Amino acid sequence: MVRILLIIATFCTTGFLYSQNILIKNGTVLTITDGIKENTDVLILNGKIAQIAKNIINPKNTRVIDASGLFVMPGIIDAHSHIALDAINEFASPVTAEVQVGDVLNPFDIAIYRALAGGVTISHAMHGSANAIGGQCQTIKHRYGVVDPEKLKMEGAPRTIKFALGENPIRVHGEGKNIIPNTRMGMEQTFRDAFAEGKLYMQRWDDFRKGLIKESPEYNLRLETMADIIKGDILIHCHSYRADEILMLMRVLKDYGVKKICFQHVNEGFKVAPELAAYGATASVFSDWWAYKFEVYYSTAYNASILTKNGVTTSINSDDPELIRHLYHEAAKTQRYGGLSDDEALRLITINPAQQLGIDHRVGSIAIGKDGDVVLFKNHPLSIYAIPQMTIVDGVVRFSIQEDPDDVRLEISPTANESSFYEEMHHSEEEDSCLQGFSEWMMEHKSK
Amino acid sequence: MAFKFQSYIGLLFLTWSTICVQAQVSGDLKPASDIYILKNCFVVPQPGKILSGQDILIKNGKIADIGSQLKKPFDALEIRLDSMYVYAGFIDAYSNTGIARPEEKERPKVTNTVYPQNEEAGITPQVRAKDSYKSTDKSVPEMRTAGFTLSNVIPRGLMLPGSSDVFILGDKPGDRMLFKADIGQNFQFAPIRGIYPGTVMGVMAKFRELYKNAEIYGKKESLYQALPSQYNRPEYSRELEAIYEVTTRKTPLFIKANHTKEIHRAMKLRSELGFNLILADVQQGWYNIDEIKKHNIPVLLSLELPAAPKEDVKKDSTKVADKSDFELKKEQSIQEYLSQASAFEKAGIPFGFSCLSVKATDIKKNIQTMITHGLSESAALAALTTYPAQLLGISKEAGTVEKGKLANLVITDKPYFDEKSKIRYVFVEGSKYEYADRPQAKNSGKSNGEDPKYVGIWSYIIDIQGMSQEGKVNITFADDQYKISMFDNTRPYDEIFADNVSLDGKTLTFTSSVDMGQPVTLQFELNMDDKNYSGTISVGAFGSFPVKGTWLSKPNNF
Repeated sequence: MVRILLIIATFCTTGFLYSQNILIKNGTVLTITDGIKENTDVLILNGKIAQIAKNIINPKNTRVIDASGLFVMPGIIDAHSHIALDAINEFASPVTAEVQVGDVLNPFDIAIYRALAGGVTISHAMHGSANAIGGQCQTIKHRYGVVDPEKLKMEGAPRTIKFALGENPIRVHGEGKNIIPNTRMGMEQTFRDAFAEGKLYMQRWDDFRKGLIKESPEYNLRLETMADIIKGDILIHCHSYRADEILMLMRVLKDYGVKKICFQHVNEGFKVAPELAAYGATASVFSDWWAYKFEVYYSTAYNASILTKNGVTTSINSDDPELIRHLYHEAAKTQRYGGLSDDEALRLITINPAQQLGIDHRVGSIAIGKDGDVVLFKNHPLSIYAIPQMTIVDGVVRFSIQEDPDDVRLEISPTANESSFYEEMHHSEEEDSCLQGFSEWMMEHKSK
Repeated sequence: MAFKFQSYIGLLFLTWSTICVQAQVSGDLKPASDIYILKNCFVVPQPGKILSGQDILIKNGKIADIGSQLKKPFDALEIRLDSMYVYAGFIDAYSNTGIARPEEKERPKVTNTVYPQNEEAGITPQVRAKDSYKSTDKSVPEMRTAGFTLSNVIPRGLMLPGSSDVFILGDKPGDRMLFKADIGQNFQFAPIRGIYPGTVMGVMAKFRELYKNAEIYGKKESLYQALPSQYNRPEYSRELEAIYEVTTRKTPLFIKANHTKEIHRAMKLRSELGFNLILADVQQGWYNIDEIKKHNIPVLLSLELPAAPKEDVKKDSTKVADKSDFELKKEQSIQEYLSQASAFEKAGIPFGFSCLSVKATDIKKNIQTMITHGLSESAALAALTTYPAQLLGISKEAGTVEKGKLANLVITDKPYFDEKSKIRYVFVEGSKYEYADRPQAKNSGKSNGEDPKYVGIWSYIIDIQGMSQEGKVNITFADDQYKISMFDNTRPYDEIFADNVSLDGKTLTFTSSVDMGQPVTLQFELNMDDKNYSGTISVGAFGSFPVKGTWLSKPNNF
């Protein structure tokens, strides 16, 4: 008992653990970008991968982890999640480019720890899909234990923003408030208006800065963000299902010279895979989830494989605090449906999502100089018997199946009741976690 | 000659009678004298000091003199305070004292929820507390009874509720009690659902935009003033004008930040935009101590505390072992809340107290709890007096017991921080308020030997802007106390228990905590009749809603 308390106390008070030096001995290293290395050691110094070789001599002050019989792979990356957020959808307007989920990070969210238990070291905490142009997203490192929200952010990760096509924005704004967008035509117009206004805004400020106009224009954070998208400073991640709409958005982006786009969900991506590849667009999909609303009936579990074979950089995402715990199983499904190789399947949850988030130079593979984000698996990660044993983020052990106490919550509200995992996960059933809070909001809204 | 003399007398009489009539008409019956001499007391002039055998002379609302064996002026009222303790009147650095909750009317329909008017979106920085402060609001005597003589009053509102003013908590009409205006602007992470900005991230984005536009507005304004022929007149904006004062740091910005995440968000806005921040109503600040200290940010700790865990009479190790990990961690969490003030003191960060979220009657008890959790009495007294005086820029006039300062005094029968001490007098700018030795406690849920009233099952219908939420209220009476629990029709199997049940005449009040992502306290105030009732429910920052119901049956287990 006392021991458990001590562990809890250390866990709670240490908070931000500084990077340790870790030597992982004798594992089967799945490097992703440089093949498989048997009986190999991986040395992490000051949070970065310093050496990958056999029989590395243990430097001073280094924790040695015996990985004999274990698989060592780079930390899994989820390109679409909504964990660690206090707010997901700024429902009130069809375009809310100015809001940032980075403002409402919740480092106390237990889902971060659960993701670590599934080997996930980085997730893309996204704004929801209620709006055509939702808020800016945040790439987070799962440094569970820190209480300063700023320390969850992956420093240097590019800015990203959520777009959404189809039924969700139409339902929230068209049906909900009887404003544009009320149809898929209206969706296109909403994007075009936002880009056009953003461009005009950018020109007006340029003119002012050049002294061509004397009076300062009004500052508009929404249009300022649209201008940043046009300049290419922000990567777009677009919630999408139907092929026609995917093509529509690519046409709009082409008109404004915006190149970087990752289509999220993209259930009908298999229909337009060559077009996606030609544009340089990427895709982040569910392995086999569909038919939860009308626009996702035409779907297939072969989606990821077809996209991959057509040269589209593809990832598999969770969009869910439960699914995030077994993305390795989700990736393995592409071997059943489409026969992807081990290497191709593992790329779907490592280097490919890293590329989509613009962080592939830092993470996504085991290579010298990359961040010390590593997972140790018992059994091959694509095996149905795979179990993550230890998850390391920046050289800090953030999850250990052997060492961690049962209850690792960082904060318990003075009025909290003991609740089960099931109750927590199901207290608000939603059709789709991208629209979290929607039905509640709708009720309030209709009364106004 | 005789005639002249008569008329002279007549004139005198006339004048005198006029005075009499005036006194009656004004109804302002002053005590026989407003000069007091307090004899033979212990004086705590400032935290950490005590003087014995002192007399205090109060005149014109100020402390005219302090010393031993002062000469009693012939027109002074003498109050013998043998062995009582005199402190400077407490200063509440952040609350809505004197500002009534807005009556729940039909909220005007917002026609454009995407681009609402500023006022509809809770953006009202131009509002001033002094425009709605009323000394007749019941919160004023409540705070006074707890020893408070000055309040920094925040207007009620949402995101930017307006600027705050310091009021003297006397009972003269509100506008005459204004002590210092324009103390600071206020900001709250308070979105309005369904209207932009409808989330905390929306509120933060909107604030950044307003702030930048206020800076631009200020620049345009000064350009136009300097060169009116060359520039166009900037369109007037009362909102931007008010925020401009924050951008120039002429006025500080109080940000209400209960949770550590809100503190962090407030500090983030400050470091991005550069305003002078005051953290207010802080309840979970221990996580942020290093940052607060590093940036030297003034802090007002909330006087509201979670209920302390029930301690076993004997600390029996076997008992501890019975508790689940969850219970142990929860207790540890509560301890951290109760030790917040002590943690700030240990870190060397001075602080004041905020009374925004606390019931006035809990204040002393909560300060006691902070002291048993390590806060020193002198730091507690500083937080009640000298620190807020300095922060609010009124330390020349208030905050200590000194000659020349306002006669704002709290007088207790034992040292204030003694558990059994009672406040016997409060002086507010020289006006005396006397409290009985044992003030008759209001009926705190207990009956006076009468039969318990209103027992039974009642319906309730809460009207939330045209939508109704329904359920049942079960009122029982056992062990000389009322107990209330509720069942909402949306979750008919979850019993919701009520706390702080109190029946005063026909007014039944109680509170209940619900978890809406964060704990929210619902405050019920019901006007009971034999077979029906009506009243209001206040839901934290969301406002208050009408509730009504009828008697259904005798109590049973439904």
